Amino acid sequence: MPVRSNGYRSLAATILVTVQNLILSLHQFWAHHNCIIYQPYDLEKGAGTFNPATFLRALGPEPWRAAYVEPCRRPTDGRYGENPNRLQHYYQYQVIIKPCVDAIQSLYLDSLSTLGIDPRKHDIQFRQDDWESPTLGAWGLGWEVRLDGMEITQFTYFQEAGGHALDPVTVELTYGTERIAMYLQGVDNVYDLEWSKGVSYRDLFHDSEVQFSQYNFEVADIEMIRTMFASCEKECRALLQQGLVLPAYDYCMKTSHLFNVLDARGALSVAERTGYIGRVRGLARGCADAYVERRKSLGFPLLAGSGAEPAASAKGKSKRLVS
Amino acid sequence: MSSRRSTPASTKHPKRNRLPTTSFLLEIGSEELPWQTIHPAMMQLAQLLEGFLANHRLSQDSIRTFGTPRRLAILVDGLATKQTSILQETLGPSKAVAFDAQGHPTKAAQGFAKSQGVDVGALETRETSKGVYLCAVKQEKGLPAATVLTQHLPNLLQQLTFPKTMKWNASGVRYPRPIRWVVALVGSKALSFDFAGVRSGARSWGHRFLSGGKSGAASQGLKIPRPELYEADLAGSGVVVDPVWRREVLAGQLKQLARSVKGQVYQANYEELLEQAVFSLECPNVVCGTFAPTYLAVPQEVLIASMEEHQGFFSVVNRKGELLPRFFAPTNMDVRNMELIRVGNERVLAARLADARYFFDEDRKVKLADRLPELNGVVFHKQLGSLYQKTERTVVLAGVLAEAAGVPEVKASGQRAALLSKADLVTGMVGEFPGLQGVMGEHYAAHDGEPAEVCQAIGEHYRPRTPDDAIPETTVGRLLALADRLDTLAAFFYAGMVPSGSEDPFGLRRSAFGVIRIVIEAGLNINLGAVLQQAEQRLAQQGVKADGHAGPPLHQFLEERLRYYGRIMAGYREDVMDSVLGRADGDSLDLRDLFLRMEALQAITSQPDFDSLIVGFKRAHRIVEKEAWTTRTVEAALLTHPTEQTLQQAVETAKRAVAHSLDAHDYHGALKQLIGLKSPIDQFFDGVLVNAPEPEVRANRLSLLRQVDDLFSVFGDLSQIQVQGQ
Repeated sequence: MPVRSNGYRSLAATILVTVQNLILSLHQFWAHHNCIIYQPYDLEKGAGTFNPATFLRALGPEPWRAAYVEPCRRPTDGRYGENPNRLQHYYQYQVIIKPCVDAIQSLYLDSLSTLGIDPRKHDIQFRQDDWESPTLGAWGLGWEVRLDGMEITQFTYFQEAGGHALDPVTVELTYGTERIAMYLQGVDNVYDLEWSKGVSYRDLFHDSEVQFSQYNFEVADIEMIRTMFASCEKECRALLQQGLVLPAYDYCMKTSHLFNVLDARGALSVAERTGYIGRVRGLARGCADAYVERRKSLGFPLLAGSGAEPAASAKGKSKRLVS
Repeated sequence: MSSRRSTPASTKHPKRNRLPTTSFLLEIGSEELPWQTIHPAMMQLAQLLEGFLANHRLSQDSIRTFGTPRRLAILVDGLATKQTSILQETLGPSKAVAFDAQGHPTKAAQGFAKSQGVDVGALETRETSKGVYLCAVKQEKGLPAATVLTQHLPNLLQQLTFPKTMKWNASGVRYPRPIRWVVALVGSKALSFDFAGVRSGARSWGHRFLSGGKSGAASQGLKIPRPELYEADLAGSGVVVDPVWRREVLAGQLKQLARSVKGQVYQANYEELLEQAVFSLECPNVVCGTFAPTYLAVPQEVLIASMEEHQGFFSVVNRKGELLPRFFAPTNMDVRNMELIRVGNERVLAARLADARYFFDEDRKVKLADRLPELNGVVFHKQLGSLYQKTERTVVLAGVLAEAAGVPEVKASGQRAALLSKADLVTGMVGEFPGLQGVMGEHYAAHDGEPAEVCQAIGEHYRPRTPDDAIPETTVGRLLALADRLDTLAAFFYAGMVPSGSEDPFGLRRSAFGVIRIVIEAGLNINLGAVLQQAEQRLAQQGVKADGHAGPPLHQFLEERLRYYGRIMAGYREDVMDSVLGRADGDSLDLRDLFLRMEALQAITSQPDFDSLIVGFKRAHRIVEKEAWTTRTVEAALLTHPTEQTLQQAVETAKRAVAHSLDAHDYHGALKQLIGLKSPIDQFFDGVLVNAPEPEVRANRLSLLRQVDDLFSVFGDLSQIQVQGQ
C-alpha cells in the first residue's frame, strides 16, 4: 500500500526507492508544504548550512522557507572509495524554515512516511545533539534523529549565526540522503546504492572518491592553497568594504573549503588550525553584519509578502512564499 | 514608622475544621528534552512549587513529580481549595500622637487609618516596649487555589533554570526545547493561562507513535479529566510518566533478557546507561540483538565502547566476564513486531563494529614507538609544549621516582612505559573513542612485543580515573601514573596556571588527588619535593616560561588535597590535620608520611588521657610562647621540687624514645610516649609555680617547659588540637 500523506501520493513509496526518487519525494513533500525548492549553490562547501539560502537567509527578520539538495565536501572524510560508510563528497537534503513552525517535528515525521518509513513500525528517537559551527560563528540546539538506532537527520533550531542572535528563530533539517537510502534499499555499502534504476552510486561517484582522496591527502599544492586562502580572504574583505556582500560571501565560502583542504592535507599545526578557523569566522561575521545591513537598506523585502512582523509570525502559521 | 506582622488566622481558631482539599496537576509538554536535564528539572519544579504554595498560604499533603523527554509534571495531593485567610496587624503612630487633649483622633491617626483603608474608629491599640501604639487590624480573605495558581504559574515557570536554553517563538521564553502544551488542572477544573505562546488547559499528548493518530500532529491528544488520573491516562497512551517505574521496567527486562542468553548485563557503566535510557524514553522496551562473533577478536573494551558510547546499548558477558556477541538496545516502542527495529539496530551496530575493527587493524600496522614523532604535532598546552615534550619529561620523572621509591630495578621498565604512554593518543581508535586512552596503548604495546610490565603500566596509568576507581596494580603502573600526574601538576604550576575557586580547567585537583591516593594506598614514602624539583628543572630546560607558582604553592596545593583525602576518605578531625599539615619542611614533601602522622594522631585522640594531656601541653605551650622563651638548658641543681625532677626525667626518657620511634616512622609509638607525659606535666603544674620569686628558678622552669614544648612539636603542631567539650 502506498503511504499517503496530506493528500498526495508519494513517489518513493510507490516506486523503488532509488536515491533520486528519495530526493524527488522530499522535493514533492516540502514543495507541498510551501517551501521553495531551491537549488544547490555553485561553490564547494562543507555543509548545506553554508549555502547562502541557509546562512544568510537565517539572518534578520524576513521569513524564509526553502528545501534543497546540497552537495557537500569534507576532504578529511575521504577514504579512497574503500570505506562503505564514509565519503568526502555526498548529498545533504536541507530544509530551512523561518520562523520555525510549531508542528515542525510532525511535519518531519510525515516526510519520513512519504519515503515509506512508517513511524509506527520503527523506533524513531530525537536524541540531543547541539550544533555549533566555529567557522560560521553559529550555534543551535536540537537533535540527531535516530531511526532504529541509525542517525538519519540533524534537526537544529538556530540561535545564533555569524555572531547575530536570531529573531525569529530558524529551524534547519538536514537529511542524510545516502544513509536513508541505504536503509530503505537494505544495502550496507554506500557504493551499492541504486541512484536511479540500474545505475549505482559506485558508477557515478566511486572514481571521484578515489581521485579526490588522492588529491586532498597527497597532491594538493599546499603553498598554492595557502596563497589562495590569503587572496580570497583579502578579496572578501575588499568586497565588504564596497558593500558587495553576496560576492564577499562567495569568497568567505571559498576560504572555508580551502581551509578544509589544508586540514586534510595535514598542512596545519594545531595552533595554525585555530588561527585559520578564526580567520574564516571573522569573514563570516563580516558578511553576516553586511547582509543584515543590506537587507535593511532594501526594506527587508520578504517581510512585505508575509503580511506580518517577524515577532507576530512566530505562532507557526505557514507563510506562502511561492504559490 | 509602622511594622507589619502577619498572624495566620488559623492560630486564632485552633479548633477550626480543616479546609476542604483538592488536587493539582501541572504538565509542561515540550519537544524532546536532553535527558540529563530532566531529573534536575523535576527536583527544581517540586522545590519551586512547594515554596510557592507555602508562601501563598496554600497547604498541601504531598507532591509528586514526573518527567519524560517530552514532559515535566507535578501532582499535588490534598491541596487546600482556598488560601488560609490571615489577620494582618500594622502598627501606626503612638497613642500620644494619635489623640489630642480631648481624646479626638489627630491628623496622624486619620492619615494612618486612611493609608490602611480602615475606619478611624476601628483602629485598635497595642502595648509595645516603647509605649502604646495604634494598630490597624485587617482580615485578608483567602483566594481560591485555582485563582492564585492561574495568576502566578506563568511567572513561576519562568524561574526554572537549565544549563542550556533556547528561544523558539515570539514569547521570548527560554527553555531547553520548544514548549508545545501546558496542562494545568485544579480538581476537574482546567486553568487557563498563557505561557511560552501556548494556552494551558486539560489537553495532554501521549506517546508520539503509540497513542493513535499517525503522528503527533494527527493525534488529537488526550483530555485529562482529573489530576489523579494523569499517570493512568498517560500509561494508556503509551507513556510511563514516572521515571522510577521506567527504571524498574528497564532493569527487569535487562535482567530477564540476560538470563535468557545465559549471561549478565555488563556492569561497569550500567548505572549511567540505565539513567540515560530512563530519561531518553517514554515507553521503555528493550530488544535483544546480536552481532557477528568474528568481531570478538577486537578487544572487548572497544566493542563495549562502540555499543555504549554511540548507541547507548547494554552489553552482555558470561559468567567468566567474557563478552557475548549480543546487545540490549533500549527502544521507545512497544509494538507486536519488534523485528524491524531489532534488525535495524543490528545493522547500525555492525557498521560501527566494522569501523572499530578497521581502526584496530590499521592502528596495529604502525608500532607505538614509531608514532612518537607524531606527538610533536600534538599540543599538550600552548605554554607547555607538545605531547612529545611532556613525554620526555615524564620519562625523566619515572626514572627519578623509581630511585626515590627504592625500586631501581624497575627504572628501565618505568621509563620505557613512560616513553610509550601517550603514543596511543594519535591512533585512530583513541581518536574515535577518547575513553580508551591507555587501554588501547596496552593492546598495541603487547602487539608490538613490549614487555608485559610495560604494557600493563601503559594500560593502567590513567587510574584512578574516578574517586571510586582503583589505583594501578603494578609498581611500574603506579610510578608511571605518578610521573604523569606530577609532571602535569608541576608544569601548570610552573607556568602560573593555578586552580582558583571553582575554576580548575585542567583538572589539577583531580590529578593531585590521584597522586595522593597512589602514595597512600600503595604505601609509597617518596620525597615528592625532590621529584617536583626535577620536574621544574626539565621544564626550564625545555624553555617553558616560569611564573612563580612552582615549589611552595604546589606543595601547599598537594597538602590541601591530602587534607581533602583525610576528610573524605578517612574522616579525620580538622584539628588533627591542622596539627600535621602546613609545617613546610624545606623542600621535602612526603605525603604518605604526613598521612601516617595524621592517622596516628587521629587514633590517639580517642584515648581517655588525650584531652587532659593536651590541656597540660597547651598550658606549657602558651607560657613558653608568651615569654618567647628560647633557652632550653635546665640546671638539675635548681630542680628543687620533686614534681620538677619527675618531669625532667620523664622528658629526658621520652625525648630518646620519641626520636627512636620517629626514626622508625612509628608514629603510634611516639604518641604513646607523649601520653606518658600527662601525669608528670599535670603534677608539675599542681606542684610548683612557674613564676617563682627567684629569677633563676623561674628561668629554669621555663626552660623545662620549653623542652616539653619542643618534644611535642617534633610530631606536629599539637597546639592546633581542640580539646573536645571545651
